[in-house]
Amino acid sequence: MQSSIIGSSAFLRFLKRWGVNLGIGLVVLVTIIWGYIVNDKVTVAVLASTVRQATPLVLGALCGLMGERAGVINIGIEGQMLLSAFIGFLFNVWTGNLLIAVFAAAMTGALLGLFLAFMSVSLRMDQIIGGTVINILALGLTGYFYQAGLVTQGKLQPIALGSLAEIPLIGPVLFNNPPITYTAIVLVLVVHYVLFHTRWGLRTRAVGEHPRAADTLGVNVYLMRYANVIIGGAIAGLAGAFLTLEAVGSFERAMTNGRGFVALAVMIFGRYTPLGAWGAALLFGLASAIQTQLQFFGTFNIPHQFIGMLPYLLTIIVLAGFVGRTHIPAADGEPYEKE
Amino acid sequence: MKKLYFVLAALLVASMVLTACGPAATEAPVPAATEAPEATEAPTEAPTEAPMEIDCTSPDYFCVGLVTDVGEVDDKSFNQSAWEGVLAAQDSGIADEVQYIETKDAKDYAANIQLFAEQGYDAIVTVGYAMGQATAEEAANYPEIYFIAVDQFQAETIDNVSGVIFNEDHSGFLAGALAAQLSESGTIAAVLGTDLVPPVVAFKEGYEAGAKYINPDINLIATYHPGGLDVAFTDPEWGATTTKQAIDQGADVVFGAGGKTGNGALIEAAGNEGVYCIGVDSDQWLSVPEAHPCLVSSAMKLITPAVSQKINEANDGAFVPGNHIGAAALAPYHDFDSVISDEIKAKIEEIAEGLKDGSIKTGYGG
Repeated sequence: MQSSIIGSSAFLRFLKRWGVNLGIGLVVLVTIIWGYIVNDKVTVAVLASTVRQATPLVLGALCGLMGERAGVINIGIEGQMLLSAFIGFLFNVWTGNLLIAVFAAAMTGALLGLFLAFMSVSLRMDQIIGGTVINILALGLTGYFYQAGLVTQGKLQPIALGSLAEIPLIGPVLFNNPPITYTAIVLVLVVHYVLFHTRWGLRTRAVGEHPRAADTLGVNVYLMRYANVIIGGAIAGLAGAFLTLEAVGSFERAMTNGRGFVALAVMIFGRYTPLGAWGAALLFGLASAIQTQLQFFGTFNIPHQFIGMLPYLLTIIVLAGFVGRTHIPAADGEPYEKE
Repeated sequence: MKKLYFVLAALLVASMVLTACGPAATEAPVPAATEAPEATEAPTEAPTEAPMEIDCTSPDYFCVGLVTDVGEVDDKSFNQSAWEGVLAAQDSGIADEVQYIETKDAKDYAANIQLFAEQGYDAIVTVGYAMGQATAEEAANYPEIYFIAVDQFQAETIDNVSGVIFNEDHSGFLAGALAAQLSESGTIAAVLGTDLVPPVVAFKEGYEAGAKYINPDINLIATYHPGGLDVAFTDPEWGATTTKQAIDQGADVVFGAGGKTGNGALIEAAGNEGVYCIGVDSDQWLSVPEAHPCLVSSAMKLITPAVSQKINEANDGAFVPGNHIGAAALAPYHDFDSVISDEIKAKIEEIAEGLKDGSIKTGYGG
């Protein structure tokens, strides 16, 4: 008797902790399998589109959460992505070497990260203003210096991972992608590991929760904040590189089109964790891909704007109904002053 | 510390100024009106040294101003085509002074038009369906100025406004007929801007009708961008990923119609073996070189000659108000000229004739 009660309460606790993720995962899985049986080509197309649309979002979210875990709010992700996309594009035009171009884009993101860290850590500026400065700066600089008629030499091509790419359904979706998409997946795992299983990660979180305590124990608060924001910036730069060097292959003004801000939502949606952000980005990508697919089918005689709400509606429902309270790093957005 | 704030402030201001004047300032700054209305995109380094003094208020000079829709004058699309029409008028000596203002925000339409009007410009070209209301209102305020309203259908005739419109459904129909004949898989796709803009809908409806005219059983998959006017034409990555999704499910011809969003679709299609793509508005062979591997043609509306013709009319005092229907046609096949069979070419020409004499109907707009 006693043991069954304990068992059920443990089960309840497990449900409470993981129920949402399990539920969403199960629904998605069943839908995918059903879709694959009905029409395999369409299902693969939708899932491939999901992964692709999730990539810049999850990279942006990683940038955001590295900063916020260390106590620096970064709303300049949009600007970091845009300027990096532009610089990467320019380097591709000038050198024709995609590797150099990707590197240049990441460096641009890192530099803007340094700029943000300087404003928010050293100058102790309002961090929202700091991020806005970056957004406006990027929009202005790229708008002014972009000239029509610059033509690039190709873009990053998909690399099939041997026999893995031949697995039905999963193969073409996960194991036949261009390099930045793979990098994004690896980065999710790396950032998760670093944040929660290393000394560096512990210090980062300490600096974001209680910088005074961390400082007392000899952690260099400024250094941790600088480093995390700069590394995050490089990741946002990669998101920019994804747009111009891998996905589109060309630059257009304001082409990030709000992806940096959606990335912020994805980060909060994912409870400031890399794995959560990944899940949220994939869910968002899936909703976008499905709304495109519904239009393709054209069988539903409802205005497409209505279908277009799908990703956002889904976000609101999941956020309001299931995710529950999110723990925000306690010192998030607060400048730290040494005594 | 204060110095640093100053540097930051200076950077911020500089970036705003850069956004505001953009390329307009580098080419030829607009001389600012003395009572410039607020919230316009008047370049800040105003009263400028124009190469020679042209006073637009004087009847001796014929001045033409162009207000773009939200976007840039070098957008490889309709703003650029219209501006080229204005430049053509200048080259042929009709217009003595030509200027453009790039609209950054839809709320600035009226203010940007006024900027030219207050300087005594003789003709103002307003580009884009979205500017229709602002154009009509300002035309009432400035009855002595000619307004050339690109893509703006005039339901009622205003004496000093001519709406330059096109039968987009005709060139869309030709594009659809071409796509249906080129397709081997029997699935063709269209990746579109937004249906908030009637010309885009006309292109789409024409495309569908044209494809069905050739092959009634064709599988046609089309999608509009889900966003509003502010993002629907500037999202190349959405266009690209949507195109990929269409190609993955068997589409082998893609029609990209929607500014930069459509350009993204064309470039994506170019990266896929055995896929053809069709551009829109102008001959995109010239404007999107990245799409050369797939671009068989473009569903054009010939904005440039229509705009320069209307400027000519305004200068001669023979301005015809109401609606001016410009030409809509397919662009040359360029490198695909040898790929496309004579049979297909003949069929396209036959349809073009049919559309012209009315024996073939697209079914769009009644």
